[in-house]
Order: sequence, then C-alpha cells, then structure tokens
Amino acid sequence: MLRIPVPPRGDWQQQATEFGFHFHTMYGEPYWDESAYYQFSLAQIENHIEDPTAQLHQMCLEAVDRIINDEQWLHRFCIPPEHWDLIYHSWQERDPSLYSRLDLVYDGKNPAKLLENNADTPTSLYESGFWQWLWLEQQVDKLVLPRHSDQFNSLQEKLIQRFVEIGQHYAIEQMHFTCCKDTEEDRGTVQYLQDCAQAAGLHTDFIYVEDIGLGDTGVFTDLRNNPVTDCFKLYPWEFMLRESFGSALYEANTHWLEPPWKALLSNKALLPLLWEMFPNHPNLLPAYFADSTTHYNTGKWIKKPIFSREGANISMVEDGQETRLSDGPYGEEGYIIQAYNPLPVFDNNHTLIGSWLVDDMPAGISVREDNAAITQDLSRYLPHIIA
Amino acid sequence: MTRKRSKTIDLRKMRKAFALKPLAVGVAAIMASGCADDRQDAKIYTSVEDCKTDFPDAVEKCEAAYETALQESARTSPRFNSEHDCEYEFGPNQCQQVSNNGHSFFMPFMAGYMVSRLLTPGPIYSQPIYTSYSPYSSFRSRWVTADGQVFNGDIRNRKYKVSPSVYKPKPTVTRTVSRGGFGSSVRAKSSWGSSSRSGSWGG
Repeated sequence: MLRIPVPPRGDWQQQATEFGFHFHTMYGEPYWDESAYYQFSLAQIENHIEDPTAQLHQMCLEAVDRIINDEQWLHRFCIPPEHWDLIYHSWQERDPSLYSRLDLVYDGKNPAKLLENNADTPTSLYESGFWQWLWLEQQVDKLVLPRHSDQFNSLQEKLIQRFVEIGQHYAIEQMHFTCCKDTEEDRGTVQYLQDCAQAAGLHTDFIYVEDIGLGDTGVFTDLRNNPVTDCFKLYPWEFMLRESFGSALYEANTHWLEPPWKALLSNKALLPLLWEMFPNHPNLLPAYFADSTTHYNTGKWIKKPIFSREGANISMVEDGQETRLSDGPYGEEGYIIQAYNPLPVFDNNHTLIGSWLVDDMPAGISVREDNAAITQDLSRYLPHIIA
Repeated sequence: MTRKRSKTIDLRKMRKAFALKPLAVGVAAIMASGCADDRQDAKIYTSVEDCKTDFPDAVEKCEAAYETALQESARTSPRFNSEHDCEYEFGPNQCQQVSNNGHSFFMPFMAGYMVSRLLTPGPIYSQPIYTSYSPYSSFRSRWVTADGQVFNGDIRNRKYKVSPSVYKPKPTVTRTVSRGGFGSSVRAKSSWGSSSRSGSWGG
C-alpha cells in the first residue's frame, strides 16, 4: 500500500462538468483529489480487504438475527417498539438490500479493522463506482499509469445487476428515488443510482424526501399523486422511524431500499454486539456500551453516539479522561466506546478505506484521507489502483 | 487474470444533459427506448387546435389535457437560477421568470403537451413537453419532458409509444392528504456547526 503522486488529468474539471460530477469541490475545499493515488497489491486487496469484507457482512447478518429475536437488543439499538414489526417482517421476508460501505482501518500490513458499517445511507458511491474508474481508464490510455493497472471496483457492474434482481424480486419496472433538498452531493449519488437502475431496465422517478405525501388510502405519494410503491431512499431509517410519517410506514407497505432491517446495521450499537458475538475477531475492535463498562478507565477509546453521521459528537477517552473531538447534535440515545486504532498516515494524511458491498458481494473500495486523525466530513477522495 | 473492476461503462449514458444544474430536475434516460409490451400510443401537440383537429368529438378533453399540462409545467418544469443558464439550455427568449414563495427562478416555456388515452375511459395522460433552440443543448430540436427524458428522433416526430407510468396494479390514491411528514430531522439536526458539511445525510 503506497501513496504515489501523479499529474492530474488536464481536463478533469471540464469532464466533471460534462458528466455532472458537481460536488468535486465542496465548501471551498477540494473533495476529489487526483494529485496522488493509492497503490495496493492484489494480495492486499483480496486477502486483507475483500475476504474480510465478505466475512464481516455475514457476521452482521448473524447479528441482525440476534437483535431481531431479542427485545433487549431492540431496546439497546433504540428501535422504537412501534416499528419492531416493520423491521421484523422485512427481515423475515428477506427484503433485498442494495449496498453497504464498511469503513476499515487498514495500513497495508495488519488486519483491517471495522470502524463502522454504513449500511443504510452510504455515500461517495458515484466517485467510487464511476469517477475513479474513468480516471484509471484515462490515465492508462495516456500511459501515465502502467497498462496492467487494475482497480478494486466492480461497483457499477454489480449495482446494475442488483437492480435487475430487485426488479425481478418485486416484479416491478419502475422505482422512485428520494433524498433531501439542498444537497448536491446526495442528489448526485441518487442520480447515479437512477442511472444504474435505468441501465437495468427500470424506469425511475425522483422525488425529494420533504415532498413525499401520504395518500387517502395510506400509501405514500409523489408530486403527481402516484403511489410510491418501490423506493430507494438516501435518508436514514433512524430519522424516518421517528418522523410524523413514521407511523404510516407499516400500512403503506412500500418496498424500501435499503430495507427496514438495515436500520439495525447502520447503528453503532452493532459494534459492541459484534464484539460480544465474535470476541477477538481479527477484523473487529473491542467495543462496549458506554453505560455498562469500565473498560474506558484504561487505554485509549473513541466514544461515539449510537446514532451519528459524518463523525459528529465524537470524543477520545484516555485512561478515563474524556476529550471532545467534534461537536454535533447527536448523543441523546446513548454512546458506545470502541478501542482507538489510529488511521495509518501517508505523507501526513490520515487514510481511511471504505469497502463496498453490493448485497453480500464485496464490490470495491474508496480511499479517503484527512488532515486530522479522526476522519471528519471534509475529507478528500483519492483514486486507487491495483498493481 | 480476472479484472477487479467493471469491464465497461457506457460513457454516453453517463453524460448529463443538464450541464448547468437546473435547480429542481434530475435527468433520466431516453424514455421511449424501453421495450415493455404495454406501451401505449401518445402524441405531442403544440396547440390545443391541433388536438381538436385530431379529435373533433373530444374538444373538451383536448382542453382539459392542455390545462393539466400547463399546471404540471408550472410545478415540475426545469428551473434555473439565472436567465442565462436557462437560455443556455433552451435557447434565446425561451425562458420566463417565475416567483414562488419568495424565490425567483427561470423556466422554459412549454413547447407542447403529450397526450395519450384521450378516447379511452379512465384518466387522460397529459404532460408538458419542451424543446430547445440552443446550439449548446443536447435537447436541441428534440422533445424532452419536465424531468429530462429525451424522446428519440427530432421534433418533426410527434407520435410515440410510451410506457405508462403505472406498470402494474398499484394502490389507488385519489388524493394526497398531507405532505412533509419526512425530512424534519434534517432541519433539526443540520442547524449545528457551520464549519462542517451539514447538507448530506449520507454516511
């Protein structure tokens, strides 16, 4: 695993405009950064990332089975009791999932460690599945990269195939897609998934989350008053379950992507459960619920809210002393602690691997780096190669 | 050696027609290219009179379809922040300024409306259709829907087979009783820290 500087393509910004990649620069900071790339060996990809990713996902599915059959765990995961049936049924029916991203600490040598599972609303999909793929093709064509260069990235191919399967599973030819207003990044991610669904032969309709309506017959509606029967949402389950339309979810009977059972995996309570079920697993970090452990009195721990996004409300706990690392609105549902395992540093950058799954198949990685030790939401995205 | 990356990606399909980011529209692929068996005949009219000529016994329906399309256009047309951006996509003098809830934006004039099921019982299918006179636009001389679906062929082609938006029996909805029941957490949670990205709810 190496970080190698490389000349950016001269016309990449022009191409970004042409392809509709509008969030390569966000909040005045570069987000897409092709002034360097990461290089992995095939063995590193296959043995250290791909295989553990598949295995971690299976462990997570076992965890779902555990939670769903145990009220204590459902409480621990802060799932409102009125929604237990919704989640239970979606799991019993094996409602198909589309994708997940496991965030891994990996330095090229030691076993990758699971930091968290973005199982519900993972982003950086477009830049992973398409944009870094295009970068590789073009840099190889220009002889900037060796001809044998490859990339761990079958995302787009697998997403299209998955949409074919989901279309058959639900016997549908149309799906709605939704995300919040006023976020170009989310809209871009959803548009990419619409492109993949269309390539799979599905017709797609877009509606903003805030515009979704509730019809007189109990189904959700779009702005044309058409029923929303099958819908991809880039909007977290933990919000949907608690908002006013949450009470209509069960009756509405919408087929959601991700399905409701994914609410259990995007939850940080998963981390202590996995550690309890698979103690000392080489790809797990020790983790506990903050309110029922004294482990944090020795060693270095990261304290995270059970619900949080984008690295908000995180503290470092060192020998019992807590230092706040980031502010935020989360934490009312409680916290977990996870053993501190620093991100590897390459040229002063702290590097995080996002490992993608489409359904249960490992499908590629994204590499993000940050100036700060705990990856925050202003990190940069760098492409990678296998060579 | 097996490749670890996608074999091919159709770059033509990845290019986005709306290069200039309209405010409220996503771009879909070519609508009429699907091969569903239940596609139905649809025709584009550029005036109510054209429709009445075709359906002298259904002039009220022609008018109703036109009104529906106009209302749809006001609600769902592509929207742009500036007249320049709108004219870049749709051509000179093809855009109007509209104000809504204190927001001002520009949208293209409706160029026509697409109608099907005019003579069959049940709801008439009618929607606004646009075209572009801009040399910079991939919509130039082609028909396009409000959500960016481009029809095959140029604007001389008025007859299409389209897939109905409802493919299988779906729950009926006669009206929407409320909106806005999702999305409130965003406003609640995004009010903190301005230094951080507050928009995205992806992880």
